[in-house]
Amino acid sequence: MTKLIRGFNETNIWNLLAFLIVAATVIPVANLALGVLPGENENWRHIREYLLKDYVVNTLILFGFSGLFASLIGVSLAYLVTVFDFPGRRFFQWALILPLSVPAYIAAYTYSGMLGYTGIITRALSGLFGRDISIDIMSVPGAIFIFTFFLFPYVYIISRAFLAKYTASLIESAIMLGKNYTQIFFQVILPVSRGVIASGSALILMEVANDYGVASYFGIDTFSIAIFKVWFGMGDVGAAAHLSLYALAFIVFIILAEKAIRGQKRFAIATTKVRLLTPHRLRGAKAAIAAGYSMLVWSLGFFIPFLQLVAWSALTYEEVLDQSFLQATVNTVFAAAFCASLIVCCAAIITNSARISRSRLVRTAGKLTAVGYSAPGAVIAIGVLILFIWLNAMTELFWSYSLITSIYMLLFAYLVRFMAVGCNSLENGFEKIGKTYFEASRTLGFGVTRTFFKVDFKMLLPSMIGAFSLIFVDMVKELPLTLILRPFNFNTLATKVYEYAHDERVHHSAPVALIIIAICSISVYSLSKLDKE
Amino acid sequence: MFLQLKNINFKYDGNHQYVLKDFHLQAAKGEIVSILGLSGSGKSTVIRLIAGLEVPAGGTIEINGRLVAGPDSFVPPEKRKVGMVFQDYALFPHLSVYENIAFGLSHLSKAELSARVNSLLELINMSEYGSRYPYQLSGGQQQRVAVARALAPKPDLLLMDEPFSNIDCELKQKMRGEIREILKSESATCLFVTHDKADLEDLSDRSITIEPN
Amino acid sequence: MKKFWLLTLSLFLLSTVLLTGCGGGTPAPAATKPSVEAKEVNIYTSRHYPGIDDAIYKSFTDKTGIKVNVIKASGEELLQRIKTEGASSKADIYLTADAGNLYLAKQAGVLQPFTSPALTKNIPADFIDTDKMWVGLTMRARVLVYAKDRVKPDDLSTYEDLTQPKWKGKIVTRSSNNIYNQSMLAAFIAMNGETQAKEWAKGITANFARQPEGGDRDQAKAVAAGKADVAIMNSYYLGQMLSSKDPLEVKAAESLGVFFPNQNTTGTHVNIGGAGIVKSAKNVDNAVKLLEYLSDIEAQQKFAEASTEYPVNPAVEPSALLKKWGTFRKQNINLSKLGEHNRRAVQIFNEVGWK
Repeated sequence: MTKLIRGFNETNIWNLLAFLIVAATVIPVANLALGVLPGENENWRHIREYLLKDYVVNTLILFGFSGLFASLIGVSLAYLVTVFDFPGRRFFQWALILPLSVPAYIAAYTYSGMLGYTGIITRALSGLFGRDISIDIMSVPGAIFIFTFFLFPYVYIISRAFLAKYTASLIESAIMLGKNYTQIFFQVILPVSRGVIASGSALILMEVANDYGVASYFGIDTFSIAIFKVWFGMGDVGAAAHLSLYALAFIVFIILAEKAIRGQKRFAIATTKVRLLTPHRLRGAKAAIAAGYSMLVWSLGFFIPFLQLVAWSALTYEEVLDQSFLQATVNTVFAAAFCASLIVCCAAIITNSARISRSRLVRTAGKLTAVGYSAPGAVIAIGVLILFIWLNAMTELFWSYSLITSIYMLLFAYLVRFMAVGCNSLENGFEKIGKTYFEASRTLGFGVTRTFFKVDFKMLLPSMIGAFSLIFVDMVKELPLTLILRPFNFNTLATKVYEYAHDERVHHSAPVALIIIAICSISVYSLSKLDKE
Repeated sequence: MFLQLKNINFKYDGNHQYVLKDFHLQAAKGEIVSILGLSGSGKSTVIRLIAGLEVPAGGTIEINGRLVAGPDSFVPPEKRKVGMVFQDYALFPHLSVYENIAFGLSHLSKAELSARVNSLLELINMSEYGSRYPYQLSGGQQQRVAVARALAPKPDLLLMDEPFSNIDCELKQKMRGEIREILKSESATCLFVTHDKADLEDLSDRSITIEPN
Repeated sequence: MKKFWLLTLSLFLLSTVLLTGCGGGTPAPAATKPSVEAKEVNIYTSRHYPGIDDAIYKSFTDKTGIKVNVIKASGEELLQRIKTEGASSKADIYLTADAGNLYLAKQAGVLQPFTSPALTKNIPADFIDTDKMWVGLTMRARVLVYAKDRVKPDDLSTYEDLTQPKWKGKIVTRSSNNIYNQSMLAAFIAMNGETQAKEWAKGITANFARQPEGGDRDQAKAVAAGKADVAIMNSYYLGQMLSSKDPLEVKAAESLGVFFPNQNTTGTHVNIGGAGIVKSAKNVDNAVKLLEYLSDIEAQQKFAEASTEYPVNPAVEPSALLKKWGTFRKQNINLSKLGEHNRRAVQIFNEVGWK
C-alpha cells in the first residue's frame, strides 16, 4: 500500500522506461503468439498425428546435447587458460572466442562442403585409407556439432572472466586441502560457476531455438522450421500459433532453469581487491595435451572452416566482389554499431531498474526480452511488420513518410531480437558490481539517476562494451530479419551470402563470408582485450 | 528525541518470517549508540531501515523531528541526510581517495569543497593519500576514508555497519579511539552495529541488544 | 564524461543519416496521383542469381529510365510480407522461382490480372495463368540424374519406375520441405489422383538410400560418391556444377548423366520461375513494361546463358549445355495445379514419412 501512495519518484521513472522498452520488444511476438487463437483445425490434427513428436524430440535432443557439450567445452577451456600456463596460452585466450565470428549457417555450408563427396576432408580420408569414407554432417549429430563448436564461446567468455577474477582463493585453498586440478575442476569450479554457465548456455539454447539456417539446410525438423512451414507454407496462422505456444514453453523452461540454477541468492563479490591467479605452469605431456585440446577446438570451430573459405574465395573472388560489397559492408557495420549502442543503453535502463526496484514484476520483466531472442526470425519479422503497418496508418494522416519501407522498421526489429543479449550481459555486470556502491552513493545524497551516471555507469562500462561487442557480432551475422524487413535495395553482408548460398553456390559466397568473419573477429578481439584490463 | 523508531515491522522479500517485529529505538543528539546482537538478529537491517535502503512493512521512523518513513511517506536515502559506513566500506574503485570523500559534496563550490575534503583528510591523518586509489590502501586506511566520506556532507546521523570487522586487533583499538575523536569533533550522532563487546566499551555512550525474533 | 556523450550522440546522428541515406531507394510518398507514375518499379523477388538479375534490371533502367527497386527473400516470406502489408504494400511485382507460390499469391488475393500484346507474343499460353494473374519467365525440369558407371539410361524410364524394388536403397532426393518436391507431387496428384500419388511417394520413400538432407547439389554429389544411383533433382543445379571453378566438382558432375523421365507417358515434370503484379501496385504500367522486357529475347537469352534455365520465349534457344542434354516432352498440365494441390502434397509427404 505504501508503495502506491509514494507516488511518482525517480525509481518509478526508471521502472516506467524499462517497462516501455520491454513492452516494445515483447509486443510484436506476443501479438502473434497470443493474438491468434490456436486452432484445432485439420492442419493441427495433421501436425499432431505425423509431425509433433519429431519436432519435440529433435528440439530436445538439439537443446540437450548442444547445451551440454558447449558448456563443457566452454568451461573446461576457460579453466585451462586461466589456471594453467602452457604453450600458446596467450593466443588461445582470445582466439577461442573467434568461433563466434562464424555464422552458424556459414559453418554448416562450409562443413558440408568439406565433408561432401568433392570435399577436401573426404578426399583426404579416401587418399589415406584407399576407399571412400564419408562423414554425414547433415544430420542431428552434425547440427549438434555445428552448434557446439560455434556457440561454445558464449560460455567460455563469461566463465573465463569469472574464473580469472573470483576464484583464485578457492583454487588455492582447494590445493592446500590436497585436491588435484582435475578434482578441483569437478568439485569446485563446476559447482561454483554454475551461475555463469547457466547464463551462457541460456544464450546458446536461445540461438539454437531461433536457428533456421542450419536446421533447414540439414533437413532437421525443429520448432523453428515447423512454425515457418505451417505458417508460410500452409498459410495456417492458427496452427502456427499453436506450435509457437509449444516453442514458448521451451523458452520459459530455459529461463526458469537458468533462474533455478543461479539460485535464489544473488552472489555479489564486492571486494575492492581483485586478486588474479598466478597460472600453474604445465610441462611435458600435460602441456602438450592442454595445447592440443585448445588447438583442436580452435581448429574445428574456426581455423579449418576459415581455411576452406579462403580456398574457395581464391576460386571465386574475381567473379563476386564488386562495388556493391563496399556499400553492403558500410550498411552492415553502421546498422550493427547503431543498434548495438541503442540496445546497450536500453538494456542498461532495464537491468538497472530491475536491480533497484522492489517490485518483483519489474525485476523479472527483463527476462521477457528472451522471447524476442528465441523466437524464429520470420515470426518476429511479421510481428514487427504488423506493428509498423499499424503505426504507419496512424502517422500517414499527418506525415507522408512511409514507415514500412524505411530502415527504421528493420532497426526496430533488431532491437526486439537482441535486447536479451544486452540484458543478459549487463545483468551479469551488475551482479559483479553488487549493490553496496549504489547504496553508498544513495546515502551520500545522490538519487537513482545521478548514482547511475556517477557510479554504476563507470563500473558497468566494461560490461557495456562487452555487451556491445557481442550484440555487434550477432547483428553482423543476422539474416532472417534483414531478409524480410529490409527496405528496397538495402543489402548487408549476410544477405549477400544468402543470395549465393541459397542458390547452392557455396563457393561464391565464401569471399563475403570472409568479410563477415573479419569484421566480427575485430569485435571479438576487442572483447578479449577488454577482459584483460 | 533525535532519532526515533516506533513499532517497526520488517521482513525480506519472499521470506515469511519477520526479521523485526514491533521494534523500538531512540537516540539523543550527539549520542553514540551501539547495537549488539547475534548474527541474523536483524541488527544490520535496523541500520538499513534508518538509511532508507529498506522499506519498513509497518511503523514510523523519525530523524531530527522529520518523519522519513511512515504509513504514507517515504523519504529516499539521498534526501535523509544520513551518512553510512558499509561493512566492506564500498569505496568507489574508480575514484581516488580525494574524489571519494568529495563525492557527496557536489553542492559546494570548488574552494569550499577542497577546504572540506582537506580538513577531513587531515582529521583522518591521511593528507598525503588524496591521490591514491582504494586498492592501494590498507584495511584501516580504507575504513578511515569510508568514515571521512560518510561525514563529509555533515550528515545529521552517521550509521556504521560492523566498521571494525575487517581490521586486526591492535589497529582496532587505535581506530576506535580515532573514530570517537572524529565523531565528537564533528559532534555527530552515531549508530553502529557490532558483535564485539570491546567496541561498545571503547566507543559508545550506550548500547542496545537485539534479541532474535 | 561530457566528451563521451558528445561522441556517442554524434555517432548516433551520423549513423542515422548514413542509414537513411543507404535505404534511399524508398519510393516516393503515396501522395502522388494514380495517373502519374513515378519512374520506378518495386520488385519483391525470391530469385537469387546475383549478378545476372541485377545486370538485366540495370539494362532495363538504361533503356527505359525506370528505376528498379529490389527486395530479395524467400518466396514464402515475401508473400507473407505482401499479405501482411495489404493495401499499404509498396510492392509492384512479386517474382518467385516456383509456380506453387504464384498460385498461393493468387489464392491470397494479392495479385491483379494483367496482359499486353508483347507478353502474349513472348510467352506461350501454357506459361500464363488462366486468370492472367501471373506469367512464367523461366522453366526448369526435375530430372533423373544417374551415375554413368552403374546405371544405363535404358534402365531408366519413369518416375513411377523408381518405386520398383530393384531401386531399393538407390534413390536420393531432398527434403519434402522443399517446394520443388512439393510441386512435383502436386503435379502427380493432379494427373494421377491422390491414391496413386501417395503410393508413389510411399514407394520412393521406401527406396531412399538415406534420409533426405541438403540441397539439390548435395543429391548429385551423393550419386557421384556412390551413395546412391539415381537422384531426383533440377537439371539446373547439375549445370551449375559443370561450370564450377572447383575441378573436383566438375569431375563429379561429369560422371553423371541426365535422363528425362516419362517421355512415353506423362512427360517430365517442369516448374517455372514467374511473376505477378501485386493488387495494390502503384506502378502498374512500369511493372508490365519490366515483365515485357524480362520475357523479351534479350533478357531471355541472358537468363538462358547465365543460369542454365530454359527460356520460356520460344524464339530463344536454350544454352549449349541444355541442348546437349537434348529436348524433352514436358508434363502437359496447367501449372496452377501445382499450387492447388500443394497442401495435400505436403500432407502426403508427412503421412508416408518423407522427411
